[in-house]
Amino acid sequence: MRAESRPGGWYHRAMVYLLFLILLLPLAGTLLYSLSTSWSASLLPSGLTFKWYVALWSEPRFLAAFGQSLLVCVGALLLSVVLILPLLFVVHYHFPRLDALMNILILLPFAVPPVVSSVGLLQLYGSGPMAMVGTPWILIGCYFTVALPFMYRAITNNLQAINLRDLMDAAQLLGASTWQAAFLVVLPNLRKGLMVALLLSFSFLFGEFVFANLLVGTRYETLQVYLNNMRNSSGHFNSALVISYFAFVLVLTWVANRLNKDKP
Amino acid sequence: MSFVSVEKLQKSYAGSPVFDDIDCQIQRGEFVTLLGPSGCGKSTLLRCIAGLTPVDSGRILLDGHDLVPLSPQKRGIGMVFQSYALFPNMTVEQNVAFGLRMQKTPAEESRTRVREVLELVELGSFAGRYPHQLSGGQCQRVALARSLVTRPRLLLLDEPLSALDARIRKHLREQIRAIQRELGLTTIFVTHDQEEALTMSDRIFLMNQGRIVQSGDAETLYTAPVDLFAAGFIGNYNLLDADSASRLLQRPVSSRLAIRPESISLGLTGELDGQVRSHSLLGNVIRYRVEVREVELVVDVLNRSSEDLHADGQRVSLAIDPTALREVA
Repeated sequence: MRAESRPGGWYHRAMVYLLFLILLLPLAGTLLYSLSTSWSASLLPSGLTFKWYVALWSEPRFLAAFGQSLLVCVGALLLSVVLILPLLFVVHYHFPRLDALMNILILLPFAVPPVVSSVGLLQLYGSGPMAMVGTPWILIGCYFTVALPFMYRAITNNLQAINLRDLMDAAQLLGASTWQAAFLVVLPNLRKGLMVALLLSFSFLFGEFVFANLLVGTRYETLQVYLNNMRNSSGHFNSALVISYFAFVLVLTWVANRLNKDKP
Repeated sequence: MSFVSVEKLQKSYAGSPVFDDIDCQIQRGEFVTLLGPSGCGKSTLLRCIAGLTPVDSGRILLDGHDLVPLSPQKRGIGMVFQSYALFPNMTVEQNVAFGLRMQKTPAEESRTRVREVLELVELGSFAGRYPHQLSGGQCQRVALARSLVTRPRLLLLDEPLSALDARIRKHLREQIRAIQRELGLTTIFVTHDQEEALTMSDRIFLMNQGRIVQSGDAETLYTAPVDLFAAGFIGNYNLLDADSASRLLQRPVSSRLAIRPESISLGLTGELDGQVRSHSLLGNVIRYRVEVREVELVVDVLNRSSEDLHADGQRVSLAIDPTALREVA
């Protein structure tokens, strides 16, 4: 609003739109490529078709990879919700001082590059009593650590905004047990933070390649590993895959936002 | 026997005592205030009574029964917080009904009681709103209704007005007091604001550094502070050390002296000569700083008309009411 009333406002707006366009360009290109019959020597594709999408969505290997990616991500996110929510609650309600320590701990997954940590994970879980390499279980565990920072930060911000201590105290004085207070009062008010955390982690994990490829590879093919294995097949086909995967995350985010919208 | 009785209560955090051997008695239906600067232990004392903070030793008797072994859920105490602590995911009605829901009150009775208590705080038409759609004053009235609906034996108010603006604060102050009188509810109010304490309370416990320094009604606390802290905290006392006091009164004074600014009158004829250093208009009162015998005194004069105004630098005469002089330790 303010930009419009100022001279030069059009300039700022133009810059924003230009930036938007630049960011959108590769995606638009991929979309167009996935819809074209062939597109090599001409400026524009020679014809439009849905055949790549039809081929993709009737390919059992793709559907399996899609389902497996979904399973691993949902599994990791479920694990993190079940473990992190109570942890956050305990840290913020009983031991607020631990928050500083937690802030350092949750940075670790970022501090160590995936290529490095997967070597360690391969050593640790490659043999012995906890041999999990090549199974989806190791990915779920590993993705849990990757999701940790997103989950922890988003939910912490939410917790700080709702004044946890006073809400708990008020609920308990009104006769609620700690569990009732947590489930009836605190949890419903964490929905927004939780939703943000889950969407962020999901979009990130759904596109994760390094861990999936190094720890499990073709033995439990996820979407990104499948994409990598298909790199020598048709580019149109692969573009359809990328767009499908992008559209899925987009629709998921939109639905989640819609569900969240009308509530306080 | 008193209704609430706190006996030899002790509490320390990490080795340093928050308060030590607190004793206080509160009668049924009384409105008492814990007044003191921040960090004096007044809020901790309130939280100990509520059961939200464990005590180290001592007893808290409510109607003859010791509360200390009971969890907060079982104490039958209502509490209002400075931050309102309304549940953001619930409507006003659901917030107020929460306590009844926990007690498994039948739906029909619950609805009636919620409606009654919302009428009491004049928010009958706001039942369907969410807390974020209300003003601060309305939020605090909902919080009050929520703590009243379960008919607590004791109501605790932890700085409930501190987050509100001045006009609403005054109005709510009167409303809280009126409701408390109507219900005959024993109430403990915590504040750092002396004006709130003086206007609302039947009795005030003045606290400092974990001790109750003085207790009594507003009149006693205002006119007869027991020590330097009490005199400094309540009112705008002129506090003079023994030397200045001796010089001012021209007779030997062995201890510190406290003089209320409104007990000094200002005129053109009087026993003490002084000179106006500065003045400020507080509305109905003009506050002068007057130098008399090398002592600077604060003098409050009722602002009757502009003709009475003494300009800065003007020579004036002062008369001090001898009964208003208080020696403090």
